[in-house]
Amino acid sequence: MRAGHHEFEFRASFSELEEGLDILHQSIDRLRRATGRRADDRPLLLFETALGEIGSNVLTHGRPAGTATPIDYALRLDEGTVVASLSDSGSPAHEHLSREMPGHDSEAGRGLAMARSLLDELGYERDGDVNRWRLVKRL
Amino acid sequence: MALEVETRTADNGITVVAPTGRLDVAGAPALKEAISEVVKNGPPRIVIDMEGVSFVDSTGLGSVISALKQVRGSQGELRLAAPNQQARVVLELTTLDRVFPYYATVEEALTGF
Repeated sequence: MRAGHHEFEFRASFSELEEGLDILHQSIDRLRRATGRRADDRPLLLFETALGEIGSNVLTHGRPAGTATPIDYALRLDEGTVVASLSDSGSPAHEHLSREMPGHDSEAGRGLAMARSLLDELGYERDGDVNRWRLVKRL
Repeated sequence: MALEVETRTADNGITVVAPTGRLDVAGAPALKEAISEVVKNGPPRIVIDMEGVSFVDSTGLGSVISALKQVRGSQGELRLAAPNQQARVVLELTTLDRVFPYYATVEEALTGF
């Protein structure tokens, strides 16, 4: 495959919560239309659910007060595998990665456990002052 | 798109709370507020009509758990109706479908309440 060429590609930067969530869901809608998938296509629906979780974490925790750096987002499809990349400038997230699904009474703390279950791969690395997230799923 | 929440009273006196939009980290506070309003008015019997909810995330799910706790704490009862496929996936993945059975339609949820 040629570098820089993807079957589908979407890129955006955003800074606000609702704006960012809208863009994430719009990108999945575009991918759905571009690939002729139905609205209830299960693999893409599972991916969108995971993206919503990581996206809301990044938008909620990835913009420390006083930081103007936007969140960078890319969505790509290659050979039937969809990959989303998100980068933010929040605190390191290592300690949260292995969080288990909490009990039924808990009102929070399920997002990362859900995303891990829904994806083939959830990648995370700390790159200087930046968190880089990588969400991978075979469609 | 902000979550909009409509509240109405069905013929049998049950309160139907109907959110429309994404029940996510941005929309969850609106549902919590609507449920709190209903709980203020005595022992609540509530159906959350999920038909207009296009997407649920873990924070949105947290607002439903919060609603369930509030309602049970007020000797009331809460039922969930008409979740779409994505919402059902989230309920099943978190095994909350075991503690929070849902109904296919609002009419079913209202029957025998």
